[in-house]
Amino acid sequence: MKQKRALRQPHAMLACVLGLLAPLALLLPWIRQGGGSLGGLGLLTASPQVLALRPLAFFGALGFLFSLYALFSKNRNAMRGLAAAAAAGVLAAVYALLTAKATADASLTLAEPFFVSHLGPGLWAFGLLALATLVLSLMALRQPVAYVVLSSMAAVWLVPVAWLLLTAFRQEPGAYTPYVLPRGYTLMNFSRLFTETQQFNFPRWYMNTLIVAVITCLVTTTLVLMISYAFSRLRFPSRKTYMNVGLIISMFPGFMSMIAIYHILKAVGLDQSLVSLILVYSGGGALGYFIAKGFFDTIPRSLDEAATIDGASKNLIFWKIILPSSKPIVVYTAITAFIAPWVDFIFVSVIMKDNYQNYTVALGLFRMLEREHIYEYFTRFCAGAVLVALPITLLFIKIQKFYVEGVTGGAVKG
Amino acid sequence: MSGANTVSARSGKGFFSELAAIFRGGDAATRLTFLVMGLGSLVRRQFVKGGLFLLSQVLFIWYFFGFAWQYLSKFTTLGTEGMRREWSEARQIFVRTPGDNSMLILLFSVFSLMLLLGFVFLWRASLRAAYRAQLDARAGRKPATFQEDLRRLLNERFHLSLLSLPTLMAFAFTILPTIFMILIAFTNFDANHQPPGNLFTWVGLTNFTDVFWKDPLKAGTFGRVLGWTMIWAVIATFTNYLFGMVLAIMINQKKVRLKSMWRTIFVITIAIPQFVSLMLMSQLLHDQGALNMLLKQWGFVSSSVPFLTDATAARITILVVNLWVGIPYSMLITSGILMNIPKDLYESASIDGASPVRMFFSITLPYMMFVTTPYLITAFVGNINNFNVIYLLTRGGPLVTDYYQAGKTDLLVTWLYKLTVDRQNYSLASTIGIFVFVVSAGLSLLVYNMSGSARKEEEFQ
Repeated sequence: MKQKRALRQPHAMLACVLGLLAPLALLLPWIRQGGGSLGGLGLLTASPQVLALRPLAFFGALGFLFSLYALFSKNRNAMRGLAAAAAAGVLAAVYALLTAKATADASLTLAEPFFVSHLGPGLWAFGLLALATLVLSLMALRQPVAYVVLSSMAAVWLVPVAWLLLTAFRQEPGAYTPYVLPRGYTLMNFSRLFTETQQFNFPRWYMNTLIVAVITCLVTTTLVLMISYAFSRLRFPSRKTYMNVGLIISMFPGFMSMIAIYHILKAVGLDQSLVSLILVYSGGGALGYFIAKGFFDTIPRSLDEAATIDGASKNLIFWKIILPSSKPIVVYTAITAFIAPWVDFIFVSVIMKDNYQNYTVALGLFRMLEREHIYEYFTRFCAGAVLVALPITLLFIKIQKFYVEGVTGGAVKG
Repeated sequence: MSGANTVSARSGKGFFSELAAIFRGGDAATRLTFLVMGLGSLVRRQFVKGGLFLLSQVLFIWYFFGFAWQYLSKFTTLGTEGMRREWSEARQIFVRTPGDNSMLILLFSVFSLMLLLGFVFLWRASLRAAYRAQLDARAGRKPATFQEDLRRLLNERFHLSLLSLPTLMAFAFTILPTIFMILIAFTNFDANHQPPGNLFTWVGLTNFTDVFWKDPLKAGTFGRVLGWTMIWAVIATFTNYLFGMVLAIMINQKKVRLKSMWRTIFVITIAIPQFVSLMLMSQLLHDQGALNMLLKQWGFVSSSVPFLTDATAARITILVVNLWVGIPYSMLITSGILMNIPKDLYESASIDGASPVRMFFSITLPYMMFVTTPYLITAFVGNINNFNVIYLLTRGGPLVTDYYQAGKTDLLVTWLYKLTVDRQNYSLASTIGIFVFVVSAGLSLLVYNMSGSARKEEEFQ
């Protein structure tokens, strides 16, 4: 136990040395301009001060102190402090980089317009040293270095999400702004989606999608459960043939038959209606029975056999044995079926054509980004996208465990 | 019971020999059932069952000759009379006389033939029922009542009740359209042959020879689009799988805390509909988009980076953006399985002094490959058909003149989509669709059979 808690040695030493070096980067040139350059210290003491540099200098100094302390005391808490200071230093460096243009333009009087590419080695050296200190101090503490990788990946993955949210609340119109953070925030984008329904009838599309999604969810779940139970538990002539035909048919690209489906629906007078959407989505969803079948396969057969001996019919076995033990797969099937109508815009565009009143949100939002609308509607598109993504995200986070069980249910036990 | 079973059963014998056996063993009523469905059942006082059989025969004949025949009879030519526009002196306008509609002829012919097939099965069922009733009567048993038949539908014949509705839906929305479109590949159904104004007709294998070698433009486009599709599918599948697994391993490390928080961060991006996230990405990466604006403002580039407009750059961008889209999926799927790898494998390996890297390649990877083969196949086929990423980011562009209606980043499916929706070139699109099907189905079946999960179906129950 004691062995485990001690600092890992060469790493701790190195971390301290780097922690001492990092703040020295303030002495390096930070901004190249003309023939000369401005050092970090010069920028800090200039009047007016460059604000983005303050946290950076603060965390650099903090790391310096913790390094000294850790170097002499070999104390775990000092090393923790160093790690925290280094992490904060990395963030401060990234922040300084992102805001360099704005702060330089606002608070410095430079000989020529400032570009981020004019940054000298100072900021880069500080950032890299802080990063190295962070990695080494984590290793010294016997903590996973994965935290650093995970956080940076998380940042990359969340940037588009953050951009979506910011844009949804942005006051200025337009597809993009030449600066990162919006100048003003508003809820108008949301309210105008629901009040200005002349061209884009968002509330109606939202209701359409909800209706289609709920019914599709019920129908698909029923169908999938019926098919999977039959294939998993019942033995009947030509079962294998049947399954293989299903497998093969599901491999035809859906786009190919899309037009034919449209003509079939037209022949029975169902084209451009919500009913046709429900039928198409349910039919498509039912082809995904493989996952549910795989799940049923893992429920021990001995349960069925015992029930059969007690005189239960196949029907009863389904209700009393299989269904109660397959909650994950039912939830998974239901949710995926529910989500499908919210995210599809291809089938809906082929089936609805120009029947504007029966659009779903996906197609409606898709239309908002056509070239002639994009300037005026981009922020509203983002607001609408948030309204679609929010319920789906919540549902999905709730079922992510089921999702994994659903996808791997059959495979894991293999 | 045994007598009835040996007859109605059971496959080994084949369709015709079974019918022959029924004919040989049947009495007059059973033999007459060959012509009048349900007769055998009616004679044995199974009125409801026999009545239903008879009714279905009447309805079928009425449909087939009363309605379907007008289309089926023209199936070989797909119609001969186009729509005519004639000047009517009396009314001083052009009068349109509707001619044959090739598409409806094809559609209803396929539908009727499928119905005929279904009817044959029903016909056999009526024969089996008649013969069984006959055998029951001879053995002195009372033929099954309708209630008993219904009860059997919930037990021994439960599969019939469960599968008939899904089968009907599959026929209507999958099989019928698919067969229809397969047949379209053998016609000249395109923008110049559009019903109801114009006729289209059978052209044999012309579309296939054109697209494979005869027509230099189409064949050249096809070869290069196919090449890119394959490169894309291989790289996209394996990068996503590997990086997703590495991410999952990182999160699953024993010491890493807040596991569910990390997972949730990445899962959020799955939950956002792809059309939203990808359209945002395309706005972000546009020549005049936010990223290029920022890069220019910051002085890193002087002119826009052609993320989506230069062929090579666009291909790389798409692969990178696809990592953003796909890694969370494979992370989520692999992390569940990773936790199931027996811990003692790792313990004994670390006693033997194996390094973590060695353990990854000797234990984790083989185990994962074995367990996730079905998932990998689905992912690969999914990438061959990955419409969203390509269409929403580049719409297949940049367009080039030596491609036929396609761009440098078009996959076969996005090309197919454009040919169908924008160009109405249905016959060419169907030809490509059949090819895509052959490739993905072939690959899937091959790997599926190799993976062993098919063979083991019965084992782990």
